[in-house]
Amino acid sequence: MIGRSVSRRRRIPVRLDPGEVIAAAHGAGVVLGGARVLDDVTVDVRTGEVLALVGPNGAGKSTLLSVLAGDLAPVSGYAELIGRPPRRWSAAEAAMRRAVLLQQVSLSFPFTVAEVVRMGRSPWAGTEREDEDEQAVAEAMATADVAAFAERRFNTLSGGERARVALARVLAQRAQLVLLDEPTAALDLHHQEMVLGVARRRAAAGDAVVVVLHDLNVAAGYADRIVVLSDGSVAAVGSPQQVFTSGLLSEVYMHEVEVLDHPRASTPIILPRR
Amino acid sequence: MSTDVSRTDSQTPPADAEVRRDRPPHGGRRAPSRRVRAAVLIGGLAAALAMVAVVSAGSGQLAIPPGEVAGSVLHRVDGGLESLLARFGVVADLPLDVGPLPSHAQGENTLWLVRFPRVVLAMLVGAALATAGALMQGIFGNPLAEPALVGVSPGAAVGASLVFVTGASFLDEWTVPVAAFSTGLCATLLVYLLSRSGGRTEVVTLILTGVAVTAVASALVAFNTFVANPEAREQIVFWQLGSLNGARWPAVTAVLPFVVVGLVAAVLLARSLDLLALGDRAARHLGVNVERLRIVAIVVVAMLVGSGVAFAGVIGFVGLVVPHLIRMVAGPGHRVLLPASALGGAVLLVGADLVARTAIAYADLPLGMLTALVGGPFFFWLLRRTRSRAGGWA
Ligand SMILES: Nc1ncnc2c1ncn2[C@@H]1O[C@H](COP(=O)(O)OP(=O)(O)OP(=O)(O)O)[C@@H](O)[C@H]1O
Ligand SMILES: [Mg+2]
Repeated sequence: MIGRSVSRRRRIPVRLDPGEVIAAAHGAGVVLGGARVLDDVTVDVRTGEVLALVGPNGAGKSTLLSVLAGDLAPVSGYAELIGRPPRRWSAAEAAMRRAVLLQQVSLSFPFTVAEVVRMGRSPWAGTEREDEDEQAVAEAMATADVAAFAERRFNTLSGGERARVALARVLAQRAQLVLLDEPTAALDLHHQEMVLGVARRRAAAGDAVVVVLHDLNVAAGYADRIVVLSDGSVAAVGSPQQVFTSGLLSEVYMHEVEVLDHPRASTPIILPRR
Repeated sequence: MSTDVSRTDSQTPPADAEVRRDRPPHGGRRAPSRRVRAAVLIGGLAAALAMVAVVSAGSGQLAIPPGEVAGSVLHRVDGGLESLLARFGVVADLPLDVGPLPSHAQGENTLWLVRFPRVVLAMLVGAALATAGALMQGIFGNPLAEPALVGVSPGAAVGASLVFVTGASFLDEWTVPVAAFSTGLCATLLVYLLSRSGGRTEVVTLILTGVAVTAVASALVAFNTFVANPEAREQIVFWQLGSLNGARWPAVTAVLPFVVVGLVAAVLLARSLDLLALGDRAARHLGVNVERLRIVAIVVVAMLVGSGVAFAGVIGFVGLVVPHLIRMVAGPGHRVLLPASALGGAVLLVGADLVARTAIAYADLPLGMLTALVGGPFFFWLLRRTRSRAGGWA
């Protein structure tokens, strides 16, 4: 009832068709603490695709997500979220259009898992889509496999369990653009595959998913397109087969990398030379 | 229901989300137990408040039995409602005038001129302080934030002491609250601005900033005390000890609007405060205008604390102890925490004031001294507990 009064002039988003550009950075540059963290980065994100961001630590992956999410305004170039600079949307309107999973998840008070996931529904409070709340929460909890500890307090969970709860919160938001910063970093093999499976299903349903990954094999197996960031710039963009070459990866990661053909699937296998 | 589900789930983890499609869509719903608990808590606190208020109003040099206190209130309510209806042309005889009236000749006067204003003021101040504490903790994302700790009450003391020294009365009985409110707000904003860096508030910075602002505020109060004439000096000293001594209806009417507006505003912020627990950025991603929320919340805190301490003086630790206890029972959700804290604070302060008035015969102990006496050790316990749990703070 409180939410209703807050919702006065929010424009409910209209879903974009598959293949449309939902977010983009055009020649974006970001300076943090006096250092150039992103330099002339151009990336477009389309509905219906899983876009993977890969690159070494400190390459600027999280920063690029911040730019797309509207947390940071680029000092040069510009970003765009559904046709306008992300920061031109009000916080409430942006929240109905994009969901963000941050690399660091924290919670300052001991809410339960169910309460945390429910927080993902708050952008829709007072709108007609509020009716989906129960269903969205239940589905997100099932998808992220956190229903088993729905009533546990968040701060009593293990690292991977917390990561899955945070993911469930993001899924429950049901925004058409989903930005995931290393959602699999803390996850076991099964849950890692599960999360990327969710990303694929969301893309198939017409959403756009941007996911930061360190495991190149996972990226190769699930992403439609890959952006390789290196030292604040885009080193390569394209399909896994185009981007994952031994030469490029060895240079970007400053480590010998071998790329082999998978005996059965079309995705390449990436191995560091040991 | 959900506990049963969780047990089966943990034994046979499903290979895929599809397995769970047969579950009812309410699987993720908050367990009813917490809602029931919240309802019981709020109901219990309201009942406790009524009880402690009646007992307190009946206690003192002239003892009045609870039945007579309740009877007196009911008669007045009955008469009041009837004359209100009569004004609209409705003649009614409401059945509320039940129960005995005070048997002592001075009973009615004692209740309505001395005791009730004091009890009501205690309720308002307690509610204001506890709600302000809960708000503060919400916006700083830390259970240790407390109005007094971060310099609000010392700031308010500067304004109040200044009024006592200058004898200013430009706003009649509103002078002290307005002055205390203004300087309390300044101190709060100062602490807020000084303790934030890069969009975050580190606890150590927060507490140290509070220490710094408190030190300066105390120095200003000390100066005011120094230059004051004996009468004003006494006012300043006793104001700072905190007391509801001498509370009359004008004080209640002066405080009431601030507290009511503050409580309503606080409850309106509840949903956003919940989201703020995720951190500033995640809260923004969920649609919260974080900077605006903080500013509004801080103004509300200053309003609550400023008006609360204006007539009652510095009363510490209510804002720390009460929300913490409520959180232990009802969880951290602000939609329950804020109203329950208001009730809890009212109960605590009416109770504490009762002790202050009656513990020692013919003496009115300083209320702020009492709450600090109990609150200090509690704060220490809280500190230890949090440290051992979370391994300390950054
Ligand atoms: N607030 C800041 N001030 C100064 N430098 C910063 C700031 N935030 C990030 N940086 C720097 O910007 C660079 C890019 O950071 P970013 O977090 O985007 O990297 P990343 O690609 O996400 O790395 P990782 O794989 O470790 O998460 C890093 O070198 C980092 O040190
Ligand atoms: Mg990162």
